[in-house]
Amino acid sequence: MKGTYLGEFEELVLLTVASLGKEAYAVSVKAEVENTASRKVNISAIHSALYRLEDKGFLSSEFGNPTQKRGGKPKRFFKVTSAGFAALQQAKDLKEQLWRNIPQLTFQSV
Amino acid sequence: MDVDQNHIVPPRLGTYLLKWIYGSELYEEIAGDMLEIYEDRVLAHGRVYASTHYVIDAMLSVRNYDLRKNNNTTQNNSIAMLKNYFKITLRTISKNKVYSALNIMGLALGVAAFIFILQYVTYENSYDKFHSNHEDIYRVRYKVYRGEELNIDCAAAVPRVGPFMKEKMPEVIEFARAFPISGVMSTNNIQFREDRLHVADPAFLRIFDYPLIQGDINTCLSEPNKVVVTEEIALKYFGTTDVVGESITFDSWLRLPLQISGVTVNVPNNSHFKYDFLISYETLNNHTRDDETGNVASEEAWGWYDFNTYVLLQEGTDPKAFDDKFNQYLVEERGEDFEEYNFRSEFPLQALTDIHLYSNLLQESEPEEQGDGQAVFFLTIIAFFILVIAWINYINLSTARSVERAKEVGVRKTMGAFKKQLIYQFLSEAILLNFFALIVGLLIVFFGINYFNQLTGSQLSLSFLISGQFWLTAGGVFLVGACLSGLYPALILSSFRPSDVLKGKFSGNKSGNMLRKVLVVFQFAASVALITGTIIVYQQLAHMRNADLGFDMTDTLVIKGPAVFGEDSLFVTTMKTFKSEVLSNPEIAGITTSSNVPGDEIFWTNGIRRNEETPDRNKTIYIVGIDYNYFQTYDIELLAGRNYNETFSTDTGSMILNAAAIKYLGYESPEAAINQKIMFWGYPKTIVGVVDDYQQMSVKTAVSPIIFPLSLNENSFITLHLNTGDYQQAFDAAQQQFDRFFPGNPFDYFFLDDFFNRQYENDREFSRVFTLFAGFAIIVACLGLFGLSSFSALQRTKEIGIRKAIGADISNIIVILTREFVQLIILAIILAFPIIYIVMDGWLDNFATRIELGAPVFLLAGVLVILIAIITVGYKTLVTAKSDPVKALRYE
Repeated sequence: MKGTYLGEFEELVLLTVASLGKEAYAVSVKAEVENTASRKVNISAIHSALYRLEDKGFLSSEFGNPTQKRGGKPKRFFKVTSAGFAALQQAKDLKEQLWRNIPQLTFQSV
Repeated sequence: MDVDQNHIVPPRLGTYLLKWIYGSELYEEIAGDMLEIYEDRVLAHGRVYASTHYVIDAMLSVRNYDLRKNNNTTQNNSIAMLKNYFKITLRTISKNKVYSALNIMGLALGVAAFIFILQYVTYENSYDKFHSNHEDIYRVRYKVYRGEELNIDCAAAVPRVGPFMKEKMPEVIEFARAFPISGVMSTNNIQFREDRLHVADPAFLRIFDYPLIQGDINTCLSEPNKVVVTEEIALKYFGTTDVVGESITFDSWLRLPLQISGVTVNVPNNSHFKYDFLISYETLNNHTRDDETGNVASEEAWGWYDFNTYVLLQEGTDPKAFDDKFNQYLVEERGEDFEEYNFRSEFPLQALTDIHLYSNLLQESEPEEQGDGQAVFFLTIIAFFILVIAWINYINLSTARSVERAKEVGVRKTMGAFKKQLIYQFLSEAILLNFFALIVGLLIVFFGINYFNQLTGSQLSLSFLISGQFWLTAGGVFLVGACLSGLYPALILSSFRPSDVLKGKFSGNKSGNMLRKVLVVFQFAASVALITGTIIVYQQLAHMRNADLGFDMTDTLVIKGPAVFGEDSLFVTTMKTFKSEVLSNPEIAGITTSSNVPGDEIFWTNGIRRNEETPDRNKTIYIVGIDYNYFQTYDIELLAGRNYNETFSTDTGSMILNAAAIKYLGYESPEAAINQKIMFWGYPKTIVGVVDDYQQMSVKTAVSPIIFPLSLNENSFITLHLNTGDYQQAFDAAQQQFDRFFPGNPFDYFFLDDFFNRQYENDREFSRVFTLFAGFAIIVACLGLFGLSSFSALQRTKEIGIRKAIGADISNIIVILTREFVQLIILAIILAFPIIYIVMDGWLDNFATRIELGAPVFLLAGVLVILIAIITVGYKTLVTAKSDPVKALRYE
């Protein structure tokens, strides 16, 4: 089913949002991804992923209070929904399953 | 660094992009994120880095253009359709690689040619526009009429006119004179001959924008013996630009100890006036002041016309009205002289920005560099021609392919496509193809610009690529081209009726065929015109170079005479010894000194008349001072009388003139003029010899009347005629003797043929540019013809199959396939010839010596074009003609 499928980058972003707790918004997600995964990402890619994940129902969001920084413009904080966690869990299970399959492959074939 | 958070604003371009990409729903929060990152980057890396990345990020955000816009279905749909159009275009391109390549290459060549010419023309038009006052600066011309005949039309005026104009005309804000001079500059044992020196008024640097990097603009030219140099010269002589106060000595007909008072930037290439040194005007005044009367010739003379005079007028002054008004003052002041000497002078204004392209007067500041407005105009037309030819190609090829696309149109229409949508489709195809062509064209320009510069002697750079105006023009031309060339095929293709095309009845349309023919005729008429033009330009140039000049310039070495010489009274004897020493070398056949050599513009003139005539009959004549061996060394024929003779001590009262001067003075024949008296330099002189006319300047100009007084102290040029044997040895010997007799003078030399032929350099460049673009045009036209003929062959595959099956042989088939195109091209040739005849005849009229246009040129061009066309058409035709009829007929 297409709706539950998680892309590699989407999964990364989703996990990052989960790990950031209440402080997850685009800029902090970008910084965290760059730090932990040590790869350069463009902010537009983060935006793309965040909003698409929200459209799929894996993230929910609410506005924070406007501050002096960033020209008084609002921040949108993201939170992983239960559907999001389920999707993450499913992705994890799938991978674990596959990992488990690797050594058994030769014995259980046929 | 203290950065005030409230005042750093990211580049607007990026913000606009964001606003455009994200709808109102997302813009605020995303802009906030971007701003935050921007602020962090400013602190970490500085503004430039942050701004650049801000714009890049904004551009990359395009990937999110459809984020949260799902509710807007119509927009999405048209975007999807656009995607589909592009996909189809790319498929069509890759399906017919050859035709797409022809199409794109043709357009790209057109675009490249257009850009080249555009840049060339822009550069030629940019001359002197860098002066902030360029619209209000005028040069004062000098015209002299004797009776009704225009005798002198000169770029340099007389020294008095500048101050006089300022006194009488309130419109004149400032005036500046510049008097050209050349000689040897020396300092600290470094010496060079310098040709770009001018004695200039203090206002010179105020009128023109040649910014000073050292020195004071108001005082640097106001005292005597001051000199302003360019940056380049400061570095050349002193190795630094910090040279104010340094001394430098100038040697020529006057010896000047000078002190540097300022350094300006180097003169830009697109300045009609070029200098390396500006000597203060007072310096010259000190040397022309008559000690007895106190008169200063360089302030008061009305007849010494060597002074380029520029005036800065009040904004918006009408030069025509100014001329008329000034003329009245001039007649008031000079009327008596006009009456007495039977002449009339005028000082009309010439706009500064007209000088480079539209002026061809005597004593231009940089005669070799003078541009040709007509040539630039021609080129502009050629540029458009080439572009139009390329667009026509596109139209031809796309309509010819309509047969192939007909089914696609039928299917699309059956599926419910509107005509409008189909038009959009084919237009977007045209735009995409034109866009590819633009990119390829830019690549051609990018990689070809050095070659182009080399070929044409121009100095274009790629800097135009960052000019907004260029992109505006390029973008405009691109859009117009894409729409113009795309619209017709789009209309044709979209109007097919699905019921016809899907049934397979369709086979091209008649009106399209007609239009294609008209366009092909136009294309080839333009190409034929360009090719004929090129041949004519070449013939004229060859004609000029091979014309009989009346003197011998082969194996002739010219040394610039010694400017530095200690004791003037010894000069004649030293020169005599030098000449005999040089002549003792067997490799050197002749030697002579003179005030001018052929190819060097004569600035020296005076009044002359027959002795029996009254002073009001005075005429102006050019003067070349020579020694005994001038005519012999240059192999100039004596028509009557004799040469100056060393054994006659009385030859100071004798004069030799050229045939043109004899005619000018009204003598019946050279023989009749011998022993006649003329009034020259205030004394009666006897004509002892008449020499044949020779071309002092290029054959573009008529021969001027010249008088050749014997003048043994001439030090301008030493001419050596070399034997064809050992050049190097003769050269070394001459240099050795020169250094021995005239120490302290640089040995500057040139070969006369190079020197003389540099006058044709402009025409040669013009002919190269012309050839290059004529080549472009014919290639583009051939690409189109190739495409068309291949399609026509393809369409007629079946017909040819039947013909062959019945028994036609290959030559028959070829004739059938080629005939139509050859007919069109012959028509094109017939149409092009009268036009090109009129245009080129007009161009040739610019030359004093010109070729006559005869049938052979046109025949040659015609045959050439037909040949090229047959070869182009021939390849595909031959392939079709040779193909197996069985294959052609088995299909379907």
